[in-house]
Amino acid sequence: MELDFDFMEKTFGLLWTGVPVTMEITIVSLLLASPIAFYFALNRIKGNPVVSLISRGYVSFVRGTPIVLQILLLYSLLPSLLNVIIQALGIEFNIFEQVDPIYYAIVVFTLNTVALLTEVFRSALMSVPSGQLEAGVSIGLSEFQTYVRVIIPQALVTALPGICNITVNLIKGSSLAFLMTVKDVMAVGKIAASFGYNYIEAYLDAFLVYLILCTIIQLAYAGAERRFGAYR
Amino acid sequence: MDTRAFDAGVVLSALPQLLEFLDITLLVGISSIVLGSLLGGALAWAKLSQHKILNYLAQLYIYIMRCTPSIVMLFIVFYGLPALVEAVFEENIHDMDRAVFAIIAFTLLFSAYVSEIFRAAYKAVPQGQYEAAISIGISPWGAFWHIMLPQTAVLALPNFGNSVINLLKEGALAYTIGLIDMIGKGNLIIAQNFGAYGIEIYLACMIVYWLMSIGIEKAFGLLEQRLDKGQLFSSKAGKKQEVFILKEGEASGAGL
Repeated sequence: MELDFDFMEKTFGLLWTGVPVTMEITIVSLLLASPIAFYFALNRIKGNPVVSLISRGYVSFVRGTPIVLQILLLYSLLPSLLNVIIQALGIEFNIFEQVDPIYYAIVVFTLNTVALLTEVFRSALMSVPSGQLEAGVSIGLSEFQTYVRVIIPQALVTALPGICNITVNLIKGSSLAFLMTVKDVMAVGKIAASFGYNYIEAYLDAFLVYLILCTIIQLAYAGAERRFGAYR
Repeated sequence: MDTRAFDAGVVLSALPQLLEFLDITLLVGISSIVLGSLLGGALAWAKLSQHKILNYLAQLYIYIMRCTPSIVMLFIVFYGLPALVEAVFEENIHDMDRAVFAIIAFTLLFSAYVSEIFRAAYKAVPQGQYEAAISIGISPWGAFWHIMLPQTAVLALPNFGNSVINLLKEGALAYTIGLIDMIGKGNLIIAQNFGAYGIEIYLACMIVYWLMSIGIEKAFGLLEQRLDKGQLFSSKAGKKQEVFILKEGEASGAGL
């Protein structure tokens, strides 16, 4: 087996042009998913039984089905659904040509991340003794203030390893965004691979890029954990 | 452009056709789980051993595998392995069943995930029990086999169940290398209908996966309940806690 190292070197540089897209999907999905997941988690612990039931069903469904299928389903469903809505509203807008597929990717990965984050947030919130909420309220803080200043900082530290895990998995999972014609690392690699049939080289490059990305993310979270460990 | 309405009837009528190919999906999944567990056990043993180089290699392998997207692994194995085998053994395996490549790729990934679970579970069993067994004359192998392993297995069970579900979900990717499993068949049905019924077919596949996941979760829950009866170590609560923390980290698992 002979690897074409010149090609590998060139493609390796090329693949980094896909990294911003991969990171955009990852970061935007995490940011969008966090508030929803927090709301679900709060309701799972104490609160509206209906919301709790819905969130449980949702988490079970998302965690019980492969993300490829979630991608394939939403990518067939969303554009036509949006088209129907837009036509009903009477707006002149061609959804099939004018929407960057990265938005569909962000929707899919946000929906997926909500389910994973809910579980992490729930166990993190449960790790804070409930007496702290009562103590906060009894000294005159509002419930909201107690959450923001006392409970969330502590819960966040407990949740960090879980969030790190989700981020790494999100980066890995976003490699499937090429199914939605998003030009992320994997898609750039695939295009480079099919051009001259250098499959092995291109995918080995992609493998290296993901390895480096995940290492950076894990180091960053390890740093954050050291920094915020004081709140524990 | 006219949009066809969602046809729930197709979801039901496609199910029997899709279920016909469930055995291939399960074959890939179960083979990877069995082989991956064996390799994972070996990796856990390497990571627990005193041997420095072995230890380091296992750690490196686990780290690399945890950073690799399954699809990249799958493609590397699918394109790389035949070339490698051809170069080393001068054997042509290009025409081998695609399921074999899928099983190899998922075995490599699964072994890394479960080795960490096995290792943590083994560490959670009080090590004094091993020494106690040796001191009353049981052989090291016997002490491991009859005393440590059963307890390790029970502690590892919940996380192992999680990993099994995750692997089954990742197995859904096998269609990307052209394996005709359940999703592969689904794509064929969609192609036969000139691209129509995508939503219905994918939904049908999702329902099958969802039911399988729930079933596996329940099965592992029952198994755990049954096996847990014999567990009576004094610091049980503490040990459970330790494994529970691991489970949180693993909550997302290989959440693909």
